[in-house]
Amino acid sequence: MSTSYRSSGYLVTAALSGGLFGLGLYVSQMTDPMKVLRFLDVGAIASGGWDPSLAFVIGPAIIVSFIANHVSNGMTAPLFNGRFHLPDFTAIDAPLVLGAVLFGIGWGMSGICPGPAIALIAFLPENLLVFLVAMFAGSFAGTFVLKRMTRRPRHRLTEPV
Amino acid sequence: MESFAPVPATIGGLLIGLAAAILWLGNGRIAGVSGIFGRILVSVEPVRWRITFLVAMIAAAGLGALVFPGLMADGAAAAPKLIGDPLWLAVAGGLTGLGTSIGNGCTSGHGVCGLGRLSLRSAVAVAVFFLVAMLTVAATGIV
Repeated sequence: MSTSYRSSGYLVTAALSGGLFGLGLYVSQMTDPMKVLRFLDVGAIASGGWDPSLAFVIGPAIIVSFIANHVSNGMTAPLFNGRFHLPDFTAIDAPLVLGAVLFGIGWGMSGICPGPAIALIAFLPENLLVFLVAMFAGSFAGTFVLKRMTRRPRHRLTEPV
Repeated sequence: MESFAPVPATIGGLLIGLAAAILWLGNGRIAGVSGIFGRILVSVEPVRWRITFLVAMIAAAGLGALVFPGLMADGAAAAPKLIGDPLWLAVAGGLTGLGTSIGNGCTSGHGVCGLGRLSLRSAVAVAVFFLVAMLTVAATGIV
């Protein structure tokens, strides 16, 4: 069993996971920004215009993810890697909340979160490139904001291969 | 309930959950899309698997549309439409990138993976970004 990041098992797993992810986004139609916005538009519940689809997507996804986490508790390491990479951050702090607020505004404005934003490249809807370039720039800028907000060095950015 | 389709939504959700499960059990990685793309530029970590994941995601979404065109709201010929003019989308995209970078996660990383791991940190993030997104939709009247 190889634990190399370039091993075929590692890359095949990444491809399989990405493929299922993209197919899931399409099948659930979370690639359609208006469908997401119609979920977020909770004011429409009273009038019957609300679309609860997103809850039916994320609910089962969380359940499967929960089961996978349960399975991994009984494993010392994943199949193709030396260890499970948990997030370095555990604190509920200002960057977490500020980040969630900013993302919430962006998501509410567009109905597009990062997964669908990238999956939409398959369809190249008008103005997607504008959104993507801005998203990448924002993400890049955010790494510096986060560095300033946290004293601790970001392991993720310096971790050797 | 306009365009509500519980069966495709649930099947899609199961596929996304399975994707997260495979990446976690196989590679020990969290299937959070903002984290996967966000670290391609700034990281000394391996990028090959990240690009592989994203390319497969794009290809599978397109393939899904070819095989199951009827799932789209406007029929086979219509690609999904983005809402808002370019400036609006630039601001939205910038905030999405900035926020998910500072908050270290998005709908998939904090939502699917974090909540599946019963992370309190992710639960706070999810509660905040859902609430703020709902308030934003109410404030803009975009729907």
